[in-house]
Amino acid sequence: MVLPGARPIEVSAPMTLHRRRSGLGDDELHELRLDRRRIKSETMAMSAAAALLDRLGRPGAVRLGATAPVPLLRLATGLPALDAALEGGLPRGRVTELVGVRSAGRTGLGCRIAASATRAGETIAWVDPEDALDPEAADAAGVALPRTLWVRPRDVIDALRAAEILLGAGGFGLVVLDLGFTGTARTTAWTRLSRAAERTRSTLLVLATTRSAGSCAALALELVGRRVRWSRGAGPGLLCGVLLDGITARLTVARSRGGGAGRAVVLRQACA
Amino acid sequence: MSRIACLLVPDLPVAALCRADPTLLDRPLVVTEDARVIAAAASARARGVRVDVHSVAQARAIAADLVIHPRDPAVEASATRALADVAASLASRCERSGDGAVYLDAAGATHLTSSEGGLASALVARAARVGLAARVGVGASKTVARLAALHGDGCEVVPAGAELGFLAPLPLTCLAPPADVAATLARWGVHRLGDLARLPAAEVTTRLGIAGATLVLAARGEDELPLAPSPPPADVEEAVTLEWPLDTIEPLLFVLRALVERAVARLGLDGVGCARLGVTLGLDDRSRDVRTLDLVAPTRDQKTLLTCLRVALESRPPRAAVVTAVVIAVPERVRAAQLGLFTPPGPAPERLATTLARLGALCGPGRVGVPVVVDTHRPGAADVAAFTPPSAALPDTVPPGASCRLVVRALRPPRPLEVFAERDAPCFVRGTGLGGRVVAVAGPWRIAAEWWSDVPCARDYYDLELTDGGLYRCYRERESGAWFVDGIYD
Repeated sequence: MVLPGARPIEVSAPMTLHRRRSGLGDDELHELRLDRRRIKSETMAMSAAAALLDRLGRPGAVRLGATAPVPLLRLATGLPALDAALEGGLPRGRVTELVGVRSAGRTGLGCRIAASATRAGETIAWVDPEDALDPEAADAAGVALPRTLWVRPRDVIDALRAAEILLGAGGFGLVVLDLGFTGTARTTAWTRLSRAAERTRSTLLVLATTRSAGSCAALALELVGRRVRWSRGAGPGLLCGVLLDGITARLTVARSRGGGAGRAVVLRQACA
Repeated sequence: MSRIACLLVPDLPVAALCRADPTLLDRPLVVTEDARVIAAAASARARGVRVDVHSVAQARAIAADLVIHPRDPAVEASATRALADVAASLASRCERSGDGAVYLDAAGATHLTSSEGGLASALVARAARVGLAARVGVGASKTVARLAALHGDGCEVVPAGAELGFLAPLPLTCLAPPADVAATLARWGVHRLGDLARLPAAEVTTRLGIAGATLVLAARGEDELPLAPSPPPADVEEAVTLEWPLDTIEPLLFVLRALVERAVARLGLDGVGCARLGVTLGLDDRSRDVRTLDLVAPTRDQKTLLTCLRVALESRPPRAAVVTAVVIAVPERVRAAQLGLFTPPGPAPERLATTLARLGALCGPGRVGVPVVVDTHRPGAADVAAFTPPSAALPDTVPPGASCRLVVRALRPPRPLEVFAERDAPCFVRGTGLGGRVVAVAGPWRIAAEWWSDVPCARDYYDLELTDGGLYRCYRERESGAWFVDGIYD
């Protein structure tokens, strides 16, 4: 029997069971359904809000001093292909290792990066325990010497200490630690250097024959497959008539915290 | 009409010692010289100690808790110079008297302050900044200004025309007359300056001589000599004599810290910085240790100065225990760092000075600086110059371009080589740290540089690629035929 004025409702089986068990009338059932719909919509809204909070961060979960991750700034190398492979250049505030065998072109690439940095107005430091920097060659490579602090420690230990002092001072956009052909043991100095670089946002570029900074280095570049280019000279070669044209090597990203490991570019270095 | 201000510190020996050691401030300090009490703090005088009367033994007998300190001429000289610096910071015409008081031309200084009272207050405040409790008097003459400073409220200004009225009630003893003259004047019934000023000067001179004439002039507020300005000292000097020799660095640095703090406070009066710091240490073996620290930029940062001092002392400690210490700060205008709008900020000048000092101590002299291209044809020549903070302007260099240049790593000094040649062409090379069969060779290129000097450079250069993987720049001395390697292409 249908009561006059009452709206027909669809009663599902469980509701029927519920009605049968509870003995509710049609009006009560209608109110119950409306409540359930409201609860369902509220639940959906709360779920959406929770998802939004998960994505943006909950206000209560934000701690004092915690900041949103800052995108890593880059120090351009000035070589378009290398900058593209490194997604903009060397990471600022991080340790970068550039390794390679003898005459692989580490110093030339280091000078090129230093030239790009000084050209951009950065003040740089070159830590040189082997006293190997040739100012004339660096000047010819484009390094602005007045913006370069040349530090010549007496050994590698002092060189690490000097690099730590320079990184701690701040203001040096690039600190080149040229370890030359002397290898370094795995010391705790790398941890300190890494922290100092991160604190002052200086880039530490380590030139060495082998990687020694380990996980403290955010980026490791390796120069492999070096090939020397010789060319027939126009005349000055009295014996052979051959000129040194330059070298070609493959620069591989051996390690990168930001991704991109395994990328490689061909690096050509030419004589003057 | 001239207006003169007098800046003085009562009991200068006591004040100077308290300035050097602030822990003495509230203690009954007695300063002695030749076993006599020459100055005493107010608390010591309250205990009955009489200056210039009691000996050290008598003073000890009067009060057992006295702090007896021998006179330190070095700290007194520093305090006197500090007082002169205070005066020079507000007036261009200053005269230093022998007893440490400083007279300055108040008429030329009041444009910096609202009034003569403001000038006096400013002088007192600035003296407090350098650790001295000074008193100031302003009057028409040096005598009036001095008596106003001594017997006024600390910032006493005697208006023009009111000098006689101010001086009249003062006792005669404030002019410190000789004992016989004072006795004669006492017999005359003259006890105050007003009584003496009313006497005819000629008659007093007839009876008491030059001393009497001087007293009458002073009682009338007139000077014998006008203000004679002297140029202020260029350097800021602070000194101390130690009670016992110091033979370790840390206590010495503690002493030097106080000297540097006081020197920096004096530099701050003129708003200048320290461009060079000189340290003179008197040693226990009667010798002196003199050193000068050149700072990269003028600074008043105490931490920077102390770090430079520490580095200098640790790198080359004094050879004997230290008994006296003098710090001399050479002032120079502080250069404001001009940051570029489009250039990244470089190292801060103050921190750069400390950094360079630490690097210099670590690496040794001449091993830290700017690389300099030497004007010579000799390959591998290098020099280093002092590093100065670079300007904000972008460097005017040739753009490096998108390519990369092969650079030579210098080997200093060149290493001798043993070269085996075949038909005048190197075929095998052996040397320290390198060696192998020659894979490819280019050269020779003849260089004849500095042929006019005693050490001419006549060489034949070769580029050699060896089987050890290296690419070397080698040369053969034309005179001796010896082979060397002076660079590695890298």
